[in-house]
Amino acid sequence: MDPQRIEAYVDAAAAALELPLAPAHRPGVIAYFALAAELADSVAGARLGIADDAAPVFTPIGPDDLPGRDRGSSR
Amino acid sequence: MRAGALLAGSAAAIAAAVQARTISAAAMVDASLARVAAIDSAVNAFTDVVAERARARAAALDARLSAGEGDALPLAGVPFAVKNLFDVAGLTTRAGSKIEREKAPAIADAPLIARLERAGAILVGALNMDEYAYGFTTENSHDGPTRNPHDLARIAGGSSGGSAAAVAAGEVPISLGSDTNGSIRVPASLCGVFGLKPTYGRLPRNGTHPFVASLDHLGPFARSAHDLALVYDALQGADCADPACVDRGIEATAATIGEPIDGLRIAVLGGWFRERADGSARAAVDCVATALGAHREVELPEVERARAAAFLITNAEGAALHLADLRARAADFEPLSRDRFLAGALLPAAWVVAAQRLRRWFALRVAEILRDVDVLIAPATPCVAPAIGSEWLDIQGRRLPARPSLGLLTQPISFIGLPVCAVPVWGCHATMPVGVQIVAAPWREDVVLRVAHHLQRAGVVDAPVTSLTASR
Repeated sequence: MDPQRIEAYVDAAAAALELPLAPAHRPGVIAYFALAAELADSVAGARLGIADDAAPVFTPIGPDDLPGRDRGSSR
Repeated sequence: MRAGALLAGSAAAIAAAVQARTISAAAMVDASLARVAAIDSAVNAFTDVVAERARARAAALDARLSAGEGDALPLAGVPFAVKNLFDVAGLTTRAGSKIEREKAPAIADAPLIARLERAGAILVGALNMDEYAYGFTTENSHDGPTRNPHDLARIAGGSSGGSAAAVAAGEVPISLGSDTNGSIRVPASLCGVFGLKPTYGRLPRNGTHPFVASLDHLGPFARSAHDLALVYDALQGADCADPACVDRGIEATAATIGEPIDGLRIAVLGGWFRERADGSARAAVDCVATALGAHREVELPEVERARAAAFLITNAEGAALHLADLRARAADFEPLSRDRFLAGALLPAAWVVAAQRLRRWFALRVAEILRDVDVLIAPATPCVAPAIGSEWLDIQGRRLPARPSLGLLTQPISFIGLPVCAVPVWGCHATMPVGVQIVAAPWREDVVLRVAHHLQRAGVVDAPVTSLTASR
């Protein structure tokens, strides 16, 4: 997103959410939203397949939880 | 031995002395309260002291021991304190905020406090933190900054800054904190103490003020790996009141912590974890790797994107939790995190869903690596503790904003819930410690604690009490 779109989005989304942005806070909010947009671009660059779902309740996944071959740990 | 000297030692030694009745629990509580009274105006780790409660419980414990009961209490008479997002009966759970302190006091202790007290430990107070746990510095504008006990001009790290500083300052030998993106490991690193972030879902979080339910963990701080294990063992056990808490039964670690580490396959994390660390942090990793005979380096795939995803989930979930207050009274939020919260409330859902999808993808890729490696080593922070008020870090030619960047190396690990013990290394910087993360596969807290204990016995890592005195 370019800076003008970010400003327009922040103002419109804040209005839609009924989230007032004080003049003193608005520049910081725009800066942090721009940072989030940059990070979202990074996430969007990951090559996820259609089957790469989110875990609705996240459970950590260890090597023993993987299907297929034995782990071969020496422990 | 006098209570003051015991207080500067291990929780295990305190418990042994109290059980043997060579010192009373009352004397240990008084020693802790006296240390807090003497030095906490300089450190600012404590926001609440519960002296009356602590003395009453110490007296009750001493009476039990006199009656021949309580000989199976692994933390008998050990004073402890908790980050002020834990519910403490009779105290308002402020979670570092101005807004929450208007609420009614908690009516019950958080389960983890109750578990430690069942093991004989005695709560003496609550500890400073970044507001709503959204920060890595504990520069709290409402309660003042917590100062690093090893150099009062520097930050303690955060968001569990009070929890790490109180242990480093010798006010208590053990404490509890929370870690969403690094909030146990960052202050442990900067204050030179041990910190354990267990596997996501291991310990119940009910009775604490949440930050980001998808990522929140609770865990202990201590000055030895063995003390961490004693506390962690006492904390374990499922609680269905926390929907993320997994019922795995208690998998005790303290009794086996001294077993050899031979056969563990240990590797250093390269790439992102080397590039975002300065000379001191890299030297600390090298020191630990040498001691462990770890010569292999591995890289995690897409770690920068993983860190980005953790940031987005945190930003959106954290803000959503506080949306009503952000609408009604944004001016009452911590100025250092308010604008980040406000921005987080506006994130498009697609960004957050993509971040959650990446989380599982990343966990699967890292699990593949953990087929062949038992332990991963990485710096806990990019550098030693910066000065209070620092805005920027200079890391290998990169100028990074200080407050969010202190978690660059912890975020990718907590993102996928792996257990980590942060261990303190000295001598890689002229005056300050820096931490190293010992990481293992999910549910292998026993492995990270065993490695940390091995390093401490070998003299590679240590957590000395600061020489800070009342006159300093």
